[in-house]
Amino acid sequence: MEMFLMGLCLSFFGVVVSGILFAAATREERERETARRPEERVVLDAPQFFVSPLTASPASPVVRVPLEVLLLQIERHVRLEQAAAESFHEFPTVEALHVQTLSPLVH
Amino acid sequence: MQTNGADLFAGLSPLDSAAVLALGTPLSLAAGAVLFGLGSDADCLYLIRRGRIALMLPMQLGDRDEDVLIEERVPGQTVGWSALIPPHRFTLTATAPLPTELTVFRRDALFAHCAQHPDVGYVIGMNVAAVIGQRLQVFQTMWLREMQRVVNHARA
Repeated sequence: MEMFLMGLCLSFFGVVVSGILFAAATREERERETARRPEERVVLDAPQFFVSPLTASPASPVVRVPLEVLLLQIERHVRLEQAAAESFHEFPTVEALHVQTLSPLVH
Repeated sequence: MQTNGADLFAGLSPLDSAAVLALGTPLSLAAGAVLFGLGSDADCLYLIRRGRIALMLPMQLGDRDEDVLIEERVPGQTVGWSALIPPHRFTLTATAPLPTELTVFRRDALFAHCAQHPDVGYVIGMNVAAVIGQRLQVFQTMWLREMQRVVNHARA
């Protein structure tokens, strides 16, 4: 009976030691894999209820153009596009149809 | 007012142009004034004599609607052809970005004159058709250019 218990303890000890050695051996490989694929990390933002997503994060990379500037850009874009379209209307060619303008909204 | 170069009078004799012009009444707008609003009844056709008229449509920017420029009309050009075409409602908002002078033609007066002078009515009808056709073709081109950008962006 003593021999059986001793054998059981030794087997258990062997399993534990094998597990520790395996974990130590594969840890470096797992760290390398994680560093190689940073885009796969899931980053969870803190929940912000009743807050607009646009204003929630001050570190947001979205560039907010003032409304007045945006309206001026739209006006300039429309004038340039209208001029390009009228030019095509007078001399219709494929090149005139797709001619580029200097509109800030398309560059 | 000189009618030379006015798109509404193209092809009319000076005498006929003067007779049509006599139907109109002058209107002065201060900078920022609204000539007509989107959805309002269209009873009058406008010939721009001086200044400029901006045609606007509302666009959703952020959480509110803002009128943005769709097209600009300059002296000699006509705005408000919705007054001649059913259902006689303006589909744009027209404003004067700077002090502007116009001649206003009421639809009923213009139609009555054209009924009495069919040859004049024919020329005016063709001129209005040219205004509408030119705008349609310009906007078809603008629409296709924007569609091209959408497609390019989607395929990028």
